[in-house]
Amino acid sequence: MADPVSLEGLMVFRTTSSGSTKRVVIGAAAVALTLMVAGCASGKTSTSTSKTLTIDKAFDLKTADPGRMYEPTGEMVDKALYETLLTFKGGDVSKVVDGLASLKESDDAKTFTLTLKGAHKFSDGSDLTADDVVFSLNRVIGLKGNPSFLLDGVTVTKKDSKTVVLTTATPTPALPSILANPALGILNEKVVTAHGGSTTESDAAEKYLNTHSAGSGPYMLSSLNLASQVVLTANTNYDGDNPAYGRVVIQNVQGATQKINVQGGSADVALDLSGTEASGLSGSIKVTSDPSANVLFLLLNQDPTVSKITSNPDFVKAVKEAIDYKDLVSIAGKGTSQAPGVVPSMFLGALNPSDELTTDLTAAKADLAKSGYAGEDVTLNFPSDLTLNGIEFPTIAQRIQSQLKGAGINITLAPAPVATELDAYRNGKETIGFWYWGPDYPDPSDYLVFTPGNVVGLRAGWAAGADPSISKLADAAAAGGTDAERATQFQDLQKALNASGPFVPLLQPGNNIAAKSSVTGVVYNAVWTIDIAALGSK
Amino acid sequence: MIEPAARPPRAASAVRGGRAAHPFLRYALRRVITSLLLVIGVTLVTFVLTNLVPGDPVAAALGQRAAEDPAIAARFRAEYGLDQPLVVQYFTYLGNLLHGNLGVSTLTHNPVASDLAQALPATLEIAIGAIVLSVIIGVVLGTVAAYRRGKVTDHVLRVVSLAGLSVPTFWLALVLYYVFYYQLHIAPGSGRLSSDFNAPPTITGLYTIDSLFAGQLDTFLDAVSHLFLPVLVLTLYTVGLLTRFVRTAVLEILDQDYARAARAKGLPTRTVVWSYVLRGASIPILTVVGLAFGSLLSGTVLVESVFAWPGIGSYAYQAASHLDLPGVMGVGLLIGVMYLLVNLIVDLLYGLLDPRVRLAS
Repeated sequence: MADPVSLEGLMVFRTTSSGSTKRVVIGAAAVALTLMVAGCASGKTSTSTSKTLTIDKAFDLKTADPGRMYEPTGEMVDKALYETLLTFKGGDVSKVVDGLASLKESDDAKTFTLTLKGAHKFSDGSDLTADDVVFSLNRVIGLKGNPSFLLDGVTVTKKDSKTVVLTTATPTPALPSILANPALGILNEKVVTAHGGSTTESDAAEKYLNTHSAGSGPYMLSSLNLASQVVLTANTNYDGDNPAYGRVVIQNVQGATQKINVQGGSADVALDLSGTEASGLSGSIKVTSDPSANVLFLLLNQDPTVSKITSNPDFVKAVKEAIDYKDLVSIAGKGTSQAPGVVPSMFLGALNPSDELTTDLTAAKADLAKSGYAGEDVTLNFPSDLTLNGIEFPTIAQRIQSQLKGAGINITLAPAPVATELDAYRNGKETIGFWYWGPDYPDPSDYLVFTPGNVVGLRAGWAAGADPSISKLADAAAAGGTDAERATQFQDLQKALNASGPFVPLLQPGNNIAAKSSVTGVVYNAVWTIDIAALGSK
Repeated sequence: MIEPAARPPRAASAVRGGRAAHPFLRYALRRVITSLLLVIGVTLVTFVLTNLVPGDPVAAALGQRAAEDPAIAARFRAEYGLDQPLVVQYFTYLGNLLHGNLGVSTLTHNPVASDLAQALPATLEIAIGAIVLSVIIGVVLGTVAAYRRGKVTDHVLRVVSLAGLSVPTFWLALVLYYVFYYQLHIAPGSGRLSSDFNAPPTITGLYTIDSLFAGQLDTFLDAVSHLFLPVLVLTLYTVGLLTRFVRTAVLEILDQDYARAARAKGLPTRTVVWSYVLRGASIPILTVVGLAFGSLLSGTVLVESVFAWPGIGSYAYQAASHLDLPGVMGVGLLIGVMYLLVNLIVDLLYGLLDPRVRLAS
């Protein structure tokens, strides 16, 4: 039998809680709620005079400050906020065109004279001058941030109110391409310095530049949340054509959800669809598929202390011959192509498809026998959590393992999170590494790092002097010349790399952009993905 | 006289007041002190585990070109205190914590505390919604299943709750999103608000509350509609867990003498359920609810990813994948403290609900 006292207690509790007090509390809450919403202000943006464009992007955003930004999302955002001295037209990154300025380059590629064209205004209505140009470029150099290397060895001087001269001690034929990077966008010196900006490491303007913009681009920064979204509004002082969309919302959304969003209509553009996701879209959704400028490659360590097997030239040759490149392209999906060399296909100096590596299993087995390989396990390191343009590294690594097995090479897969594996890769400790190279700037000279004694060469244990013939070709390519001369020099270098270098260029993953058919002008650009201001509406 | 163990917990509360108030205060004080010591333990564990991760935060945080510049790398190490011995780093971290400083994120360059303050309300909004719904549904279904033990209803509920527990939340989230948003058009797109809405002025960080404070009814309705699917997915998972536990707890109480007596006495089923059975089962249920809420706060990464929900899960994933050590430690500490807080509240509620707990301790 239950204790009656407890029942009494319960009854008391129930009586008081269900009595008039309760009704009073509920009534008061209802009145409070009514009062709160009585004003009924709207949280909606005013869209009566301008359209909103919604773009889905998987964020890698760290900042909107051009002097510190060097990530794909930041490139796209800053392209909309800031103008650069030179630029690219549409998706063609092989040819630099005038931006804010016109260029006169010396024959020795050491002096670059930039003359401001027309009258440009910042979003606050003030004029853009040569002083702003000098400040902006020197700020990038002085901050020692991620993009500072772009202007390594560059001296910036003002010649007159319209002219700025950039000089370098060594030939720098890539500088015009570099100047098109949104990280080198021109800022309003007065505004930035008023908010803590300077051309030294003591600069404190990042916070301001993450809440406001200080540029002359077609848009202004309305709000920025690194985790969720960036909102842009049209710059009424922009001296070019007004953008078709008065307000742009860039949302941080992962690929699988992007597809549903663009199908369902809550997003107008989706930027990170994999080949598989993109191939299922049709009807009112247009998909633009192009090979991206990222190049997936294998490196085989040439340092015998790391591996006696992979440092054997015949083994390297056997690996190149054993890989089925067409098969890799087919599993990578829409837009993906085989990388002809380390330089992506859309850059000056890229190899023609006829120069690509090809599969020859018989030759692979013969070269493997010559190498003295006796079936030992060889480790393949790769980032297990990396997905690039929808391609998952583990999937490709497993396929390579199975293809090499066909030639008699036993591969042990050694996946690790990118954050932890990066160290071993950068320190040249991997036996076989599977990585990618994204361009720092769209010029073939960025790929000289794949030569002996240079950054990626050293990661493959390929020390300076390890291959004098390739170093000679690299030196010739670095010296500069006309576009035609440079194209030939870089092609020769890559042919030699394909023949005897420790790198195996594999894929350029497809870049798939899905957009509603009402959105026009979607063009992939290897530097800033899309030019938001160039998007139209119909 | 019934045995103490078989008494309904409420029965012992007759000794409330006077002498009984002190044992509860002592009990509460002891629990609070224990929780504070555990917080220090959590700081040590998160610090050690975070620093055990192989890999160089400089390589992960800086671009490859910048990381290769010794001057830039050295400046980065100095700026984030990575050039100090680990012991010094830990005590500096503890010292900063006392001032509410969780460090600066190497990823966002913001104070970690402010990043977390921005992310936490987003997660809280879906976690609170999910736990409230889960408790209501789970208690009802669990009780029904217990009363219908061995019958068709019980079997159906068992299958449903096991399905809720077994289906991967990432997959479920994508499927529900596809069906409710794309096919049926009854749910909005991803994110906390539609893109034609601005976030309401921040007061609590909870868009539903802040929009009401701002008098923006349309924003409030939009925010509520965006909560629908993430809350549904989390509820489907948690409700399965709660249903199983409630069923077990209710069955145990139904076997107790006092519950049998209440039924034998002819009290209406509703009275027996609410006044005897659920009150008796409240402690085990409370324990599971506390754990489930903690797991909702820390385990929403995949759901947040599908619904583009900028909460703690998304922040933790970003921080971990970029080796943002201050960010990772901040999330670890926050989750740890939240768990401790929830457990402390549950412990205190034990003391209130069941005097045997506070008297025993």
